[in-house]
Amino acid sequence: MSNPEEFNRYTPTWCPGCGSWIIFASLKSALVKMGFDPSSVFLTFDIGCSSNMGDFLNGYALHGLHGRAIPTAIGMKLANHKMPVIAVMGDGGCYGEGGNHLLHACRGNHDITVLVFDNGVYGLTTGQVAPTAKKGFKSKSTPAGVIETPINPLSLTISQGATFVAQGFAGNQSQLAELIGKGIAHKGFSLINILQPCVSFNPTRSFDYYKEKTYLLPESYNAGDFRKALDEVEESVLQEKFPLGVIYETEKPVFTDGLIQLADKTLVDKSPITHLESILQDFK
Amino acid sequence: MTVGLNFSKIAAHSGYHIFDYTEYPSLIRGGHNTYEVLVSPDIVGASKKTIDLLVCLNKDTFELDKERLARDSMVIYDGDEFAPEGNYQLISLPLRAILKEEEAKEIMLNNIALGASLALMDWDLKYLEEIFIEAFSKKGNDIVEVNKKVARRGFDYIKKNYSELIVKDFPIRQAETKVVLTGNESFSLGSIAADCGLYCAYPMTPASSVQTVLANYAEKTGMVVRHSEDEIAVINTAIGSSWAGVRSAVGTSGGGFALMVEGISLAGMLETPLVIFLSQRPAPATGMPTWTEQGDLLFAVNAGHGDFPKIVLAPGDVQEMFELTVKAFDLADIYQTPVIVLSDKFLSESHQSLDLQKISDFSKNYKPNRGKIVAQVQGQTYQRYQVTDDGISPMLIPGAKGIFYQSNSYEHLENGYTTEAADERIKQADKRNRKLETYLKKDFQKPEIYGDFNKSEIVFISWGSNKGPILEAMKELENASLIHFTHVYPLDQGILIPFFPEGKRYILVENNQTGQFGRLLRGETGIEIKEKLLKYDGRSFWPEEIIKYVKPRRI
Repeated sequence: MSNPEEFNRYTPTWCPGCGSWIIFASLKSALVKMGFDPSSVFLTFDIGCSSNMGDFLNGYALHGLHGRAIPTAIGMKLANHKMPVIAVMGDGGCYGEGGNHLLHACRGNHDITVLVFDNGVYGLTTGQVAPTAKKGFKSKSTPAGVIETPINPLSLTISQGATFVAQGFAGNQSQLAELIGKGIAHKGFSLINILQPCVSFNPTRSFDYYKEKTYLLPESYNAGDFRKALDEVEESVLQEKFPLGVIYETEKPVFTDGLIQLADKTLVDKSPITHLESILQDFK
Repeated sequence: MTVGLNFSKIAAHSGYHIFDYTEYPSLIRGGHNTYEVLVSPDIVGASKKTIDLLVCLNKDTFELDKERLARDSMVIYDGDEFAPEGNYQLISLPLRAILKEEEAKEIMLNNIALGASLALMDWDLKYLEEIFIEAFSKKGNDIVEVNKKVARRGFDYIKKNYSELIVKDFPIRQAETKVVLTGNESFSLGSIAADCGLYCAYPMTPASSVQTVLANYAEKTGMVVRHSEDEIAVINTAIGSSWAGVRSAVGTSGGGFALMVEGISLAGMLETPLVIFLSQRPAPATGMPTWTEQGDLLFAVNAGHGDFPKIVLAPGDVQEMFELTVKAFDLADIYQTPVIVLSDKFLSESHQSLDLQKISDFSKNYKPNRGKIVAQVQGQTYQRYQVTDDGISPMLIPGAKGIFYQSNSYEHLENGYTTEAADERIKQADKRNRKLETYLKKDFQKPEIYGDFNKSEIVFISWGSNKGPILEAMKELENASLIHFTHVYPLDQGILIPFFPEGKRYILVENNQTGQFGRLLRGETGIEIKEKLLKYDGRSFWPEEIIKYVKPRRI
């Protein structure tokens, strides 16, 4: 059995009071609970405050480019589909720079888990608007207030074929750890949107704000109902009423199930080809 | 298009070498489409400008191509449609009448003309009939029979009416079994031979057929062939898979390559092996999608922000494409850095005949050289970016138990974690760059000299697919040689200066507007080639153009 200490690398450099500390602790406790150690997980980090976790968390990790953690994770999974693959991203990388990748990862049901740190602002570049910010949010890049309405990550991913969509909150560590664990255990594309405050650059989104605007889904909520799930989240962003829990979950074949090449072995263990001769016959 | 390929295959089967070339507009239907095949007893690497036998399925073909006819050229046409004017060997073949009599579809005009062409070459219909059975037996015997029949009609018509025109110079002869491959097919087969595990691409002419060929064979080879949402996903997916230990490649043309550039820099920083197939077409922007140019050389060489090692290879023909593709996968692994294989439409989509056994033997004897990529390491002190004399650090394939590390796009320490320390930055930047020095010492291949350099007055300097047209031109020039570059970047001054002794007429030949290789050579080595023969109209060089340039008065 591993313990959370095993996953610790360098002391995080997040601001005191940043929600990332709690997400970090939740992720570690989920990994420990699943019996993982740092050599049993593939991680890919985007660029942003969230993804600075690459230096704080032990694991086989690829700290890549802004917005590209999803295609990188897909490549890792294709190469070795027996390893769990987790992408750690911010709202800018996932919903802005890498938005196209998100759509296609949903419809491909790639068996990866995407953790999105959603604080409505670009922290690492010191305070420009994020795609999840509320309309009218005044940021360094939108001093007159953002004109666009915020993206709805939950309805977007559910509608595009994601098979596990959850929302957590950095102020609810025990639930968040459970959601992350479920996301990793889920076979298929899982997205966990994690609401978190940015204490330095987004005063509009404090712990108190989220405490007021979030609610736990009732016991009776059926996460297997596609239509209900869409109804539940349809207005949530615009009305600033954020459900917490597993919003939608279903089982579907994952991308690698469709690849007969991977039925017996992972790609990294594939045997070298020995029959070029037979292929050459087709070109005579 | 298949009809031309069938002619090429029959020529190869009859014991001859071929080179073929197609021109077509960027349209799905219509426009002027051509397919030309050069048949030769020797290996041949270009088309020639003079057409010996022109098949006109319509009047436009004659009008558009008559400038390429000589006095004794043969012209097949349908006399019921039009009558060509000019002093040629005219062959009136009742294409549409035969079609009507056989109740065949219009597409079979091709096969009547093919039958007639085979008769004119003094070949037979046997191999063509085998091809029909192979291609159409699934569609039913009727389809096979009608194809055979119309080809026979064209064949017999020549034998009966134009027997005096039958060419006697190409008797069917015994020769080694050949495959007929395009550059793209050669890259595909090279990737398979090199045990590439993932090929990821977004379609873009003229690179697309690599993806379709590899996808067709994916079940047989075990390769995963992925069509991602865009080229940015393409390269990042391949980097993820290569990071996890799988030989991975991507392919595209200039526009898609532009989107991949950030990923190339990432692979350089992560030190993740990656093979990038870049098939050029005339640019900028969308340019001329179905035509050829060598206009992306400097872009490829300079692709990616920052200084990092990169290797660029440019095969000159279909055989070199196979060999250099396999080498590219080895080099990517050995140097843990991006390797670009440069092609262009002319090489990518033209067929050449190759010795089947030679490729097959090569493949049987080949063992991937993965350099310092390992599945296990001893002890717990593994450092992904360990500083070494040759610049190459051992790369542990992720997944080994009891160990872990981060590959990092930020500047990093030897252990992979982020640093901004000045001395650590220098250490890693120098380590990465040393890989180029190691490459130049160990794996750089000097340019190949063709012709008798010492005796020649004229020396062509070129790279990539110009090899074929220049070698064809040299058959008519007794005093010329060629310095042909395939390993185009990096270049080494010390190695290359001896190739350029004084007292010769050096001519840089490039299929682009600004002499990009000349600029690269000058920048990297100080060698300047002043005289340039450049072409950038979307077409490859004709050997005749090169001859005419060198000896304007004789032609």
